Amino acid sequence: MSKRFVCPRSQVPPNGMTECEVEGGLKLLVANSGDDYFAYQAMCPHQEVALCEGLYDGSVLTCHQHLWQWDIRTGAAMGLAEAPLESFPVQLQGDSLYVVAQSALNTAELFTGIGEQTLAAIMALARKEQYAAGTSLYDIGDPADDFFILDSGRVEFLIGRERASPAGFMLRKGELFGWAALLESQPHRIARATCLEESEVLRINGKQALQALAADPASGFLVMRRLSSLIARYLASPGAN
Amino acid sequence: MQIQINARNRAYQFETQSGRRLLYSGLAAGIHLPYECGTGTCGTCKAKLISGEVDDAWPQAAGRKYLKHSADVLMCQCVAKSGCTLEVGNFVYAMDPGACIPVFGRGTIVNARLLTPDVMSFCLDLDVPCDFDAGQFMAVEVPGIAGFRGYSMVNFERAARRLEFVVKKKPGGGASEWLFAGDIEGRAVEWFGPLGAATFYPNLGKNILCIAGGSGIAGIMSILSRARQERYFEQYNGNVFFGVRTYADAFFLDELAGLAAQFPSRLTITLALSDEAVSDAARSNYPAIVFDSGLVHEVAARHMAGKFQNVRAYVAGPPPCVDGAIRMLLLQAKLSADNIRYDKFS
Repeated sequence: MSKRFVCPRSQVPPNGMTECEVEGGLKLLVANSGDDYFAYQAMCPHQEVALCEGLYDGSVLTCHQHLWQWDIRTGAAMGLAEAPLESFPVQLQGDSLYVVAQSALNTAELFTGIGEQTLAAIMALARKEQYAAGTSLYDIGDPADDFFILDSGRVEFLIGRERASPAGFMLRKGELFGWAALLESQPHRIARATCLEESEVLRINGKQALQALAADPASGFLVMRRLSSLIARYLASPGAN
Repeated sequence: MQIQINARNRAYQFETQSGRRLLYSGLAAGIHLPYECGTGTCGTCKAKLISGEVDDAWPQAAGRKYLKHSADVLMCQCVAKSGCTLEVGNFVYAMDPGACIPVFGRGTIVNARLLTPDVMSFCLDLDVPCDFDAGQFMAVEVPGIAGFRGYSMVNFERAARRLEFVVKKKPGGGASEWLFAGDIEGRAVEWFGPLGAATFYPNLGKNILCIAGGSGIAGIMSILSRARQERYFEQYNGNVFFGVRTYADAFFLDELAGLAAQFPSRLTITLALSDEAVSDAARSNYPAIVFDSGLVHEVAARHMAGKFQNVRAYVAGPPPCVDGAIRMLLLQAKLSADNIRYDKFS
């Protein structure tokens, strides 16, 4: 996606926010914080609630429905929020704000905050692939070589010997699956992944990604910490009241 | 009939019976399906029907406005006509050990009485004892009116045989009009519960701040009842702000004054009148209660200034009151979101 005009910057109140529709019908939440402007998905990733109706104090954005919160500078989830916001880098030219779309890799929670060089190295490993609805990406017992990051579409998982237990995951843009490829001693898939709709994914070789991370242990530590909390979310129950 | 729910982390299966809401059957099976009001208003229990056939038990439910696609349903309103598979966009877990798993029951209305001209209270004598947590509510279905309505428990006890509720008169509200029409003593109703996450547990270890508008005081009374039973206010502070339009709209003042008198050093009860100045008569009738005028969240902000450390807030009432209180608690008081508890009914 090329650069798209969003709005004149005067439309965004100082330390405030507004919703804009850009060419092509994409709706964005545009916020100002000091000298900087940020653009995010217009709707809360939780339910279909417009974030511009939420609360914003110049640094933290809160959806008024369930109090999910995000750091306005990064879109990172805070407090009760279970998902980050998809961010669109903003460029200021004269008095006009523009956005440029990002690769799913930049929005991937797994890789937020890691070193630029390491991200570039992983990006170089990523192959963008497009699959028709009904395509199987992998099946139980297949070698777990690659992991995937969803860019668009919808992927379903079937787990278990009888394939009877769908884990109906509805992944969002930037979410990771096939993470067995990042683990040791998990050489085979334990689920079947099928595209329910036409889907675009980034395919990345697990071993090569691990090598890139091993060369930058600080980033590697961040990624592994995120991966372990991601895995724990599928196992654990949330904390008691 | 077998129901399967595909959640983001795994699939769940449970049995439902004809006529029973899918949400209720799933919750009764100990599965923490997404919901808030549980009664057709908030849209939180939205799911996508993948296969099977359902009937909508209450097609007029206000929460249907959140449904965007033809396959979308409100789990709190649909009943299965066949085995079904549905998909929800949330992570779903089993209920925590020790949680009060909701059950289906019947009850008989007793002790119906007017508290003010447009607020009433009634009790339900239950056919089966019920455990609930302080701050929870019941979904109640009255005869001849489509759809369950949520009413917060006023009392608190384990294995309760009787529950007390408060209802605001709502012109055009089917269930409210039925309750206010009189002649309800001894009538049988259906209930399902307990429901709701705005719960108080005595192991909280924080000062509590309650902001309630009108009939929203019901669940706060239950929280105060549990806190009193556990002598919570010997260790922690309690600040209760109860907002009504005029002094004549206030109720439960004897009960609230009694609580304040029992824990004079730590529990403060403030009545906020939004539409009139405070009279001397009010002050002399209830010396244990603090009176002020203004919107309840504004009064709370004034009186609590500088006292928001280590606070858990409970908020209940009509939507403008809840929204105003949440805005104040987040932006002015800088409470973290997980220390603001409320159930969304709109």
